[in-house]
Amino acid sequence: MIEAQQTQVTRPLPGGPREHLSSPVTRSVLTIQHRMLIAAREYLRGIGCTEMLAPVIGPVTDPGARGAKQVDVDYYGHRFKLMTSAILYKQASLTTFDKIFFIAPNIRLEPLETASTDRHLAEFHQIDVEMANTSREEIMAVAEGLVRHIVREVSTELPGELAALGRDTEAYAELVHHPFDQRTHSDAVTDLHKLGHDQSPDAEIDWQGEKLLSEQVTRPFFITDYPKGSRGFYDRENQQRPGFLRNFDLIAPEGYGELCSGSERESDYATIISRMRETGENPSKYGWYLQMLRDGIPPSAGFGLGLERFTRYVAGLESVWQATAYPKIPGIPSP
Amino acid sequence: MKAPAFPESAVRARALSGPADAFPDPGSYGHTLYGADPGHAAYDWIDRLRLVPPVFVPHRLEKLVELAREPLYRDVELDTTVGGFRSTLPVYLSAFGSTRAASVDLGVAASRQAGVLGIPMVIGENITPVNGYGRIEESELEKSMLTRVTAYAEQALDGYGGVVIQQSTEDADAEVWNLVYSDPNVQPLLESGRLGFELKVGQGAKPGLGGMTLLETTAAARLSDAYSIDPVFGSDTVLRSSSPGTFTDEILRQQIRLMRNNYPRARIWVKLPPARDIHAASLVAWDAGADAVTVDGAESGTGWAPVGFLEHVGLPLGECLRRIGEHPSCLLVSGRMWEGARVAKCLALGATAAGLGRAALIAVDTDPENGLVNLVECLSLELQMLTSAMGKYHVGSLSPEDVWSPA
Repeated sequence: MIEAQQTQVTRPLPGGPREHLSSPVTRSVLTIQHRMLIAAREYLRGIGCTEMLAPVIGPVTDPGARGAKQVDVDYYGHRFKLMTSAILYKQASLTTFDKIFFIAPNIRLEPLETASTDRHLAEFHQIDVEMANTSREEIMAVAEGLVRHIVREVSTELPGELAALGRDTEAYAELVHHPFDQRTHSDAVTDLHKLGHDQSPDAEIDWQGEKLLSEQVTRPFFITDYPKGSRGFYDRENQQRPGFLRNFDLIAPEGYGELCSGSERESDYATIISRMRETGENPSKYGWYLQMLRDGIPPSAGFGLGLERFTRYVAGLESVWQATAYPKIPGIPSP
Repeated sequence: MKAPAFPESAVRARALSGPADAFPDPGSYGHTLYGADPGHAAYDWIDRLRLVPPVFVPHRLEKLVELAREPLYRDVELDTTVGGFRSTLPVYLSAFGSTRAASVDLGVAASRQAGVLGIPMVIGENITPVNGYGRIEESELEKSMLTRVTAYAEQALDGYGGVVIQQSTEDADAEVWNLVYSDPNVQPLLESGRLGFELKVGQGAKPGLGGMTLLETTAAARLSDAYSIDPVFGSDTVLRSSSPGTFTDEILRQQIRLMRNNYPRARIWVKLPPARDIHAASLVAWDAGADAVTVDGAESGTGWAPVGFLEHVGLPLGECLRRIGEHPSCLLVSGRMWEGARVAKCLALGATAAGLGRAALIAVDTDPENGLVNLVECLSLELQMLTSAMGKYHVGSLSPEDVWSPA
């Protein structure tokens, strides 16, 4: 007989809401996060992006979150979804402005095993950027510039808060002064095999693999060219290297793992239909999005930078739940 | 008017009822399990094969040495691996789908007994969108997928079996796999390596079409967003139809890779219809990393299908096995399985295990407590006797040399 069991985590969990919210650690972390958001807005406004407010519900949302369940909403008798990410809306928004960003809330009912990764929350936020007529290389430069600006601002403006958390700002020295390295997914798989980690060459770098690679470096680096079959239908396939995508992840150093995912976007209607089938999606539910594609959406590139994960790295926190006022750890009901 | 050399009565029936005549009588829905008439239409090669023992039995000598006595049929080992799961014999419980014939009590009774037997169980497509999942919707609890999963898990034999959840194109809207993979109730199966997902590429009973069930008009309104609802019968009953889904070799390959990417701890099965390109499709599935390919011979099953499809569409299972030929991977077959000889012939022709569909439903309909257990124990004995007659002592050793074809 198999007995039901609940989520198991190895790390300490947040106390009740009063204990967590009134903790000096939480206050320092949220002060840092507040400054990070100010810095993000400064940087993105500076390169010509317009901030828009992200939708919270819609008939469809991003299906590209591995193994995570979407939350259904009964919207006047129609099955709507809470946003797992605003990717489809980011593309659509480029019919208003050429460069946009959201500070977007996302909900993903992640597999329960993620409760012990220190990196997953069921409710989190992304700094979501999308720019028309932009290449992957150009959008990677934006992501790198954004991360560097935010880290520099926090380390300059809030040395006291970082010191209170025991975060040594020397950890950022390379990030601030040196360009981020890049390696392809294939090379990352080879590196993991050398480290004795059994990583599938056809799949996402798994959570343990990202942590292992992250532990090897002292400044963030990009992994590019993920294989098709590991990502959503909107990441554009490389015409010169079929089967691989024009996308990237940004991995933090010191074992903190992935911070950000992005790509050049597919914007061709017929290609998107085929890619939807390749990712097991039913195109009929994406009616509004497909109609926009048929009518024309600018080719674009963009990324989503996980705010709580980035805060965890900047503040040097043990777990990502410490980087939010109201943590939702996968599988654990909490306010 | 008379037309004695023509199917006159069939034409007259169609002239009266129109498109409804493409289907069996809707009044029989939920009570009758249809299928191709083996004496009439399918000409399945398997039926004409005979299992033929040899005189010289070197494997029996090996077993004699091992046991230090003459081996008997009860010495045949049936324990095997089915699509990544350990199973007490090369048999699994096929998906029943959401058709009324398979709902509620019978589905739960079959699930519980499959757990007792230590054989894997597949839960069909469309269960969740049509019947609900059962975690929050208490009023739907009895009909839900979770009830079947729980019934199985509560009785599961230690270290054996597994639950495989199908998802079709329409199921993707309900995110059945995501729901199951993140469900606390299912974690014990996942953590003991006993959860799998089956990508449903096609139908056994109606290859080339999607799943079909009949519904009351009132119930159909709720599902009209997700499914085609066809008022073909002109009454309170409507035909609910899924799409067959669009596949190319690249779509199939990438869907399997995405399943492996998204559900790294689950086994991945792929169900193929008895299609003319079954060989190519099987190779794509295995190459992309599927733990098992399931082939459902054109024998019908527990679902609802047009009459013409039951009699005239799809390859017989024997031809599917012939076209797939030799292969090193896990191949699961279903279609009119219920006793040892047909199962043994399929194993000899390259199958790893056989699925019980209609037989399981009839068995639990006969005896809800032990019907399936009794049926499988009899099948198990037959498999042991047949295998030992071939001079072999593991059921997995059956091979093409053990069967004879008249021509």
